[in-house]
Formats: sequence, C-alpha cells, structure tokens
Amino acid sequence: MIPFVSRNRAIILAYLGMIVLLFLTSFFSPGFLAGTHIRTLSVLAAFIGIVALGQTFVIIGGGIDLSVPWVLNCAAILMTLMAKGQNGPLLEAIPLILAAGAAVGALNGAGIALFGVPPIIMTLAVNVILQGAILVYTGGTPQAVAPPLIQFLAVGRIGPLPVVAILWIALAAAASFLLSRTSFGRRLYAVGSSATVAEFSGVPIVRTTVLAYTLSGFTAALAGMLLTGYTAQAYLGMGDPYLFTSIAAVAIGGASILGGSGHYIGTIAGAFVLTILTGLLPALNLSNGALLIVYGVVILITVSLASEAFSDLAAAIRGGFRRQSAPDTARVESP
Amino acid sequence: MSAGAEPVASAFAPGGARRDWQTKLVDRGPFLVACVMLAALVAIYGSLREGVFTLEELNIDTAAALTLLLAATGQTIVLLRGGIDLSIGGMISFGTVIAATQFGDFGQTAGWIVAILAIGLGVGAVNGLLISILRLQPFLVTLATWSILSGAALLILPTDGGQLPEAWMSGGNATILGLSTSVWILIVLLVFWAWFRSTRLGITIRATGSNEKSAFLSGVSLTFINVATYGLSGLFAALASLYLTTQTGAGSPTIGKDYILPSVAAAVIGGISLFGGRGGLVGTVIGAFILTIIGNLVFVLSVSSYWQPIVSGVILLIAVLASSLAERSARRSLT
Amino acid sequence: MDLIDASAVSKRYGGIAALSAAEFHAKAGEVHALIGENGAGKSTFIQILAGAVRADAGTILLAGKPYAAANPSAAQAAGISSVFQELSLIPDLTVEENIWFRREPTTPFGTVTRRAIRKQTIDLFERYAIPAARPDQEVRRLNLAERQVIEIAKALARDPRVLILDEATSSLAPRETEWLLALSQKLAAAGKLVIYISHRLQEVRAVASRITIFRNGATVAAHDMNAVGDDQIISEMLGRRLDRLFPERKPTATDRIALRIRGVSAGQRVRDIDLDLREGEVLGVGGLQGHGQRELFQALFGIGKAKGSIELWGRQVSARGPQYSLTGREGIALVPEDRRGQGLLLAKSVRENLTLAVIPRFSRLGILSRRREKALVDEMIEFLRIKAKNPDQPAGTLSGGNQQKVIFGKMLLTEARVLLLYDPTRGVDVGTKGEIFTLMRDLAARGYAILFYSSDLPELVHVADRVAVMRNGTVAGVLEGAAISEDNILKAAMFEPRAAAS
Repeated sequence: MIPFVSRNRAIILAYLGMIVLLFLTSFFSPGFLAGTHIRTLSVLAAFIGIVALGQTFVIIGGGIDLSVPWVLNCAAILMTLMAKGQNGPLLEAIPLILAAGAAVGALNGAGIALFGVPPIIMTLAVNVILQGAILVYTGGTPQAVAPPLIQFLAVGRIGPLPVVAILWIALAAAASFLLSRTSFGRRLYAVGSSATVAEFSGVPIVRTTVLAYTLSGFTAALAGMLLTGYTAQAYLGMGDPYLFTSIAAVAIGGASILGGSGHYIGTIAGAFVLTILTGLLPALNLSNGALLIVYGVVILITVSLASEAFSDLAAAIRGGFRRQSAPDTARVESP
Repeated sequence: MSAGAEPVASAFAPGGARRDWQTKLVDRGPFLVACVMLAALVAIYGSLREGVFTLEELNIDTAAALTLLLAATGQTIVLLRGGIDLSIGGMISFGTVIAATQFGDFGQTAGWIVAILAIGLGVGAVNGLLISILRLQPFLVTLATWSILSGAALLILPTDGGQLPEAWMSGGNATILGLSTSVWILIVLLVFWAWFRSTRLGITIRATGSNEKSAFLSGVSLTFINVATYGLSGLFAALASLYLTTQTGAGSPTIGKDYILPSVAAAVIGGISLFGGRGGLVGTVIGAFILTIIGNLVFVLSVSSYWQPIVSGVILLIAVLASSLAERSARRSLT
Repeated sequence: MDLIDASAVSKRYGGIAALSAAEFHAKAGEVHALIGENGAGKSTFIQILAGAVRADAGTILLAGKPYAAANPSAAQAAGISSVFQELSLIPDLTVEENIWFRREPTTPFGTVTRRAIRKQTIDLFERYAIPAARPDQEVRRLNLAERQVIEIAKALARDPRVLILDEATSSLAPRETEWLLALSQKLAAAGKLVIYISHRLQEVRAVASRITIFRNGATVAAHDMNAVGDDQIISEMLGRRLDRLFPERKPTATDRIALRIRGVSAGQRVRDIDLDLREGEVLGVGGLQGHGQRELFQALFGIGKAKGSIELWGRQVSARGPQYSLTGREGIALVPEDRRGQGLLLAKSVRENLTLAVIPRFSRLGILSRRREKALVDEMIEFLRIKAKNPDQPAGTLSGGNQQKVIFGKMLLTEARVLLLYDPTRGVDVGTKGEIFTLMRDLAARGYAILFYSSDLPELVHVADRVAVMRNGTVAGVLEGAAISEDNILKAAMFEPRAAAS
C-alpha cells in the first residue's frame, strides 16, 4: 500500500485538492453541490478534460502541444461551416474534421520526431499557421450555428447524466487503458523518461511520438466541435483559454512537465480543480482577475507539493525514512 | 596526422585536423539563415515600396519592433540559461497598467518607473527562487506567475484604458540627431549586450545553460544564476512594458500575452538554441526585425493581414529546422 | 601533521548509509590512493571533501583547522580541487574559458580579457606538460580523453594543495595515463597531496605511497603501499578472498560465422572494417580510446549511418536502427557505454527497464499481459542475481553493478545471440566484474557470439578468445592465442607498421 501511495502521491494530492475545493465551494455557496451544479461542473470539466487528454499523452511523452487552441478553433469553425446548422452533413463533417485534427497532430509529431524541432516551436508554429489559415479562409467573420445534434452532445442529457460527461468517461477509460495496459503506453513513458535510452532499447520513437501528438490533435478537434454545441456557435478565439487550462490540468494532475510520469486519472482531477475554481470565485464575489491569480497560485502549490524537493523536505522533517534516492542521484542538488 | 598547432596531441584520436571554418559555419548556420531571410525580406520590401532604405523607415520599423525586442532580450537571456519565461506576458500587461494609472507629473512618473522596473526584477527573482529552491520546471513556474500577474493587471485596470502623460509620450517618440528614441534604445541595448556577454555573469549564464551539472560542479550557485537570469528577464519585460506605453498611449491588462510566444520565436529565428548555451542577442534583433517586416510586407502587398501569422509560422519553422540540423551535426561531431 | 584528517565522517541518503564513521588521514607530499568497491563510499567521501555533498556527522581537519565546504567553490577556495568522474566541463565554452571558468581575469568594466586568458593557458600547458588540444576549441568538439585532460588542467589551474583524481584515468589512453601518473608524483614531490581513486590496482601500485581502503561506507584499513600485497588489498576491499576475477577460458567457438563485417565504414571514425565473429566466440576489440570502437559498435547496432556489408547468421542486414536490430534470435544487442544516459530509465522500475526492449514478447495486439511480463522479469532477476528489493524498485536506486546487470538482462531478454558489449565493466565493482566475465563465457558456451570492447587491457587479455586492435578507424591487427598480451595489444594500437619495422 505504501509504495502505491508514494508512487502515485501527485495524483492522490490532486484528488485531495479537488475534494477540499468542493467542500470549500459548497461552504461559501450553499447549494453548490446540488445535482444541477454538479452537472454543469462536469460538463465544463469535460471540455477541459477532453482537450487535456491529448495534452497528457504528449506531456508524458516528454513534449508539449501549443497548437491545441487553433486546432480546436479550426475544428469548431469548419464543423459549423460544413454543417450549416443541419444534422445531415455531420455524417461527413465529424469524421473528416477528426481526421484533419489527427493529421495536424501527426504533422506536429513528425516535425518533432523526424527533424528534431523542439516541441514548443513546432506546435507554436503550427498554431499560428492554423490561426492565419482559418482567418484567411473565413475572412475573419465566421457566421454559423451549431447543428442540433452537436448541441445535444454538448448540453443534452441521458437520464441524469450529461451526454458530454458520458463521452468523457468513455474517453477517460480508453486513455487509462492506453497508458497502463498497452505497449504504446509503456513506450510513451519510456520515450518521455529518456528518448536516448528508449532508442537504445529499440523503442520506435518516431511512431510513438507521432501517435501521441496525433491523439492530441484528435482530442482538440473533438473538443472544438463539442464546444460549439455548448456556446451554440463557433467564434474566433474560442480555443485560446484551452492552451493554459489543458497544460494546467495536466500539471495539477501530477504529471511532470519533463515527461515520463503522470497519468490521465490525475488530469481528470486537474480539470475539475480548474472548473471548481471558476465556480468558487463568483461565489466569493471575486472578479476574473482574481481567478487568474488563484489559478497561478494553485498551479504553484500543486506542482510544489508534487515536486521532489518538497518530498525531500518532508522526509527530512519526519526524520527521513522515506527518501530512497541513491547517493549519486543526489549529486547535483543546489545547496 | 600533421604536427600543426596542437602541442603534444599525438596520442589523441584521429581526425584531429577538423576543418575549422566548416564547423564554424555549421555552428553559425541558424544565425546565417536568419540573416539571409532578413536580407531577402528587406529586398522584397524595398522592391515593392519607395523609401525603404531611409533613416525614417529605420526609425519606424525599430519603433514597431522594439517592444518585442526588449521582451525577447529577456527571453534570450533565459533561453541561453536553458529555461523559458512565460511570465513576461503578465509583467508587460502589469507594467502598462501601472504606468497608465499611476504616471503623472515628473516626480510621480520617475518614482513609478523605478517601481515598475523593481517589480519586474523582483517577480523574475521570485521565479528564479521557485525554480531553484523547489526544483520546479521553469515552464510551469512562469506559467503560474504569468497568470498571477495577468490577474493583478486585470484587478487594477479591468479594460484597456488609462492615460499617459504628454511628456512621456513625446519622449518615447522623439527624434534626436535624426534617429528616433527607439533606435537610440536599440543602440544602447546592443552596447549593453556587447558588455554583458563577456562579463563573468554573462559567461556563467551561458555556461549554466550549456550544462547545468558541470556548472554546479565548477562552483556556480544555481540559485544565484536562476535569480539573476529570471530577474533580468523580468527587468527587460518591465522595460518593454514602459516602451509599449509610449506607443499605445494606454494601459492594457491583456496585451502582454501577444509578446510571450513571439519573444521566443524571435530568439529562435535568430538562432538561439532552446537547449541553452548557444546564440546571442544580435540574432534575436534580427529575429524581431524579421517578424516586424513580415507585417510591413503583408501591408504593402495589401493582402489580408491574416497572412501575417502564416508567414511568421513558416519562417519560424525554417529557422528552427536550420537550428536542429546544426544541432545534429554538432552532436555528430561530438562522438 | 596530517593535511587531511577526517574522522567519523557519516552521510545518509534517506534510509541508506553511504558513509558510516569513515576515517581518512593523509599527509602533504604523498599520493594517497583511496580504493573500494562501488558503493563503498569513496565517491561520497570525496564529494564531501569537494563540497558537492555535506556530511551528516564527523569532523574533517584541513591542515589542523576544521573544514566543512558548503559548496564546490568553498572547497576550491580552501585549496581542494577535484577531477570528478562525471566531468565538470561546459560543452559550449572553449578549452581556455573552461579552465579559467569563474576565475577569469577581468577589466575594470567587469569584462573578461581574452588575451590574458590565452597567456595563462599556454603557461599552464607548458608548466605541467599538458598534452592538450587547442585553447580556443569548444569543448563539445573534443573526445572523452581530451576532455578528461582539460578537466585535469582545470583542477591544476587552481594550484591546489589537495588534488582529488576520481577515476581520472578511466577514459585516458595509456600515454595520457602515464603523463598523469608522473604528474601526480611530481605534485607530491612538490609538497601537495594527491588523492587517487581508481579501480585499476596496477596504476594505484605504480603511483601511490599510501593506500586507504573503504568497504560498506567505513574505513577498513590504511597501509603504506610497499608494505601490502595485491591479494590483501583485494580481500580487504571485498571482505572475502576473491576466488578468481577471470573465469577459465575454454574455447567454445564453432566454425559458424555469427557476424560477418565487410568493408564497414561509419562517420569519420570508422573506415573499411572487415571482421568475422563466430558462434561461441568472445572477440575482444582493443586499441586506444577514440579510434573508432564506439562508432563501430553503434554502427553495428544501427545508430548512426554505416556503409558496407553486415551479415548476421549468414543473412545480410541493414543496420537501420536499434528497433530493427533487436529482432529476436537473429538480432544483435548492445550493452551501451553510458549506463545512465543510454542504458537505463533511472526513474522507472527494474521491471519496466528489463522488458523495455521486448514489449512484443508479452503483448498481443498491443495489449500487455502483466502475468507474462512478470514471468520474464522474475526469470531474468534470478538468472542474473540482480539485487533489488522488488521488481518495482526504481532502477536508479540500485548499485552500479546491479544497474549494469539490469541492462544485460534487458538485452538477454531480446534473445539476440550476437551481443555487443561496450566497456561493460567500466565503473563496476570487482565482485560484479567477475560475475560479468563468468556470464560472458557462459553465454559463449551456449552459442552466443560476443563482441567485447574494454578500456582495461587485462580484461581483453584474459576474457577474449581473439582481440582485434583498432587504430585510426580500421583494424590494425587481430591477435590470437598466445599472441594476446597487453604488450602486443598496445604495440598494435600505437605504432604504424612502418614505424614498428624501423
């Protein structure tokens, strides 16, 4: 049991934080834990969670995907333009756009894995190129509403459960399975831990990396289409907030931004933490500015708690029985 | 093996007579690519418009590039250290907001200038401390402080606005000896860099970015270097915000985010390695001008301004491909 | 009076005691060897001296005054300079910038004066006869041996009272090693203290006048060098008598060619190599450091581009990359040079490391079977006697020798029967070394074919069936049978045929 806790400390912390926040919120805003609220909460968290799914894979693989905002935005705009408010065209539009999102992700992955372009730059460049492309294509003023089916997916319910939350649960199960039980997952952790060691062990780096970014392009496109159902139409800049929140959700969920560790289970808690905060602050009568400040502080606190330095510190305070790093791993600690 | 300049190296590996000029060329490849791209852009621009090769044009373009350039100077220092600073976006917003709400008569203005610079330095130092003491990733720490500073800016000034003193505005847009304030600042910046790069601090920052562990073993205090690096970055972000107010005449709580990734892009286009240790400010200056002139070109060609991000993205990709090719050849020759 | 007088020095890392009440007493004017197995606490002790690590308890007196360096610069200021096993050079600075790093002469404006640095560097090189590269070359363009020499130069530039050499010869060729041994004695004669750490007993015997032996974090004994025999040193290091380091060498080679190399070139360092490696054979690869051995091994494994013909078990292969090399029984496996950088995922478990190269062996349609993975892991842990608390222990927390065993296990699980072993015993303790050699001979007897590079000559002489000596990127000669000796390997490695004839 103890090894399980110590290995998954960061993820457990994320869930503890989520629970504490839930109670805090219901304390300041009675009725917050009511069914309708929880529902809204899970819908909003689902959008973050779905975008962050691909981001989790990319970050575990040692990269980062900054192209999320405009992949999401392009998907949303293209879907509404193709569907023109009708359900019929979706039959073609949805698969096509998901494939396009995946293809953009694959392009990111290829640039990074084949040509050694740093992930930050590759995905940043793709992001601005997509931004420009969609602006040129639409002339800057896309006007189209989301078709009813998409609206149903985003805000509809099956029984007590929001459709999008059901979708999210299915995706989360698939993501966890991929990470824990498949050769792709195993290889992804290896590539994220050390690409050199992975290469020397015969791990197909290019394929693994490309797959992770492909997944990220796919989930960003999916989230973009779903989001139009929530906002009723696509608009320019709708993806921008998701750059920050997708990375923040992964980080709060306990993954190391250096790669090689973390799990989507943690990211789920991260998505909830971010969403609950947006609900908590209006209850406290605080503005958007305060929300950003709280976001920043929460990120700092969670990543600090999950950091090695903190556990060393805690171990030292408790008399130091926990830490097991060998002498030589401790060689370069700043004094 | 020829007994050339090498004193007693005969027991060393074969292939000692490496072609100096070749390796130098490859090392400088990314920078040279940037120079060629700038020259090409200027040539195209010059062929499309009268009066490109005049002082006046230089003044205008420098003014347009300078905010980005100042931000990118800080970013360059951080990249040389092997880190990244996203918080400059928050600092730039915060600086413009303070300036727009607090500047008044000469005394007030002078006092608040010092205060803004001190805040920039201080926030950067806090970034450096968090990175060192809690051993956190620069990306996450500065993501968090970016959020916090943006939030603070929004609290002070919820929307764009405020006012800057007349004298401040005219000072920022004055012409002295035919050169605009911006060109003079650029000259000072280049002189600063010529000095800074051969100071011990400058060398140590570069060295620490090149190999942190080696630097530590050589007696470098990583905490000090991080505080200095991110402190300088914060300071340059503060300078950028001050200059920006002379151009916009107002404060904006959201403007800073437009400089975060472009500052990285300018440096990378100019040949700064994201892996730390390699590159210089001249490259960054060229990178910033490339990004600015793309804007001019799009204007002159009277195509949709939405083409600007597309072209910038493509240029960024070209530049970074050049860097990664150089990186590979450097790694290959290492064995 | 002792220059360094350390008593009851202790250091714990979490639950593990790296040093418990170690003693160390050394005088000025001597070369003092410090030896012990890996994990005996030598590294921790000298890191404490060097200020890279702080002791939990104990006292250290430096020339009679209490000494406790908070960081490397404090140690250097006190006159203790170290040449670390893991290098402290900055790749992107030049040789001279590195040597004078953070002690550069500066102008009143705070900028560094290049001309003064150049002069100091040249003076330094002349003073110590440093066989060095050009001062203005960037260090990342130097090879390991060249870097090691610059590392030593950097320590000398501080004009230290105490010079610590931690495995400083591990990457040096014989010629530089000789230079370093002579230099150590010269420094001692000039009244300095040289603390010399090495796994190579011959060297230690050649250079040191005193010897202190560590075992399990404590001091076992200290002797005058000429008053103690090798057997005693080894038994004190190990705590038991070492039966035999090298296993008996029974020829097990068959006539079947496992690996046939014809005209292989790679990069700038490997030119036109022909070699045959037979089933059941251990073929040693010798030569001075940096003459293409690393590039040859990596090219055969598919890292870096190679030209020429490579045949495995009679079948032409194109070494396109490790993922195409590690293909089961017909494949080829590499135990790489850099254990921590190329071999192991330090933060990942022993289990995940062991099975990283053989994921298809316990997965179907991309889905893992934990049960089948466990069977593979348990078998390999037992076969190699890997000492881990459980398979989920992070590999980075194992001792050096056990880490190397995990890498061996990873490669053995691939079932490849052609093994490339690049310096597999470097930095490994004596006990594990013996196990590795025994394993190599066992594998050979089972029909494996092993290409074995070592930077340690006796290993080649005692373990290999034949030794191919490389010089300037080609095979300068292949020694067989009684012709295999340290002398012959060195001769083939160092002399052009013309020069040898004259």
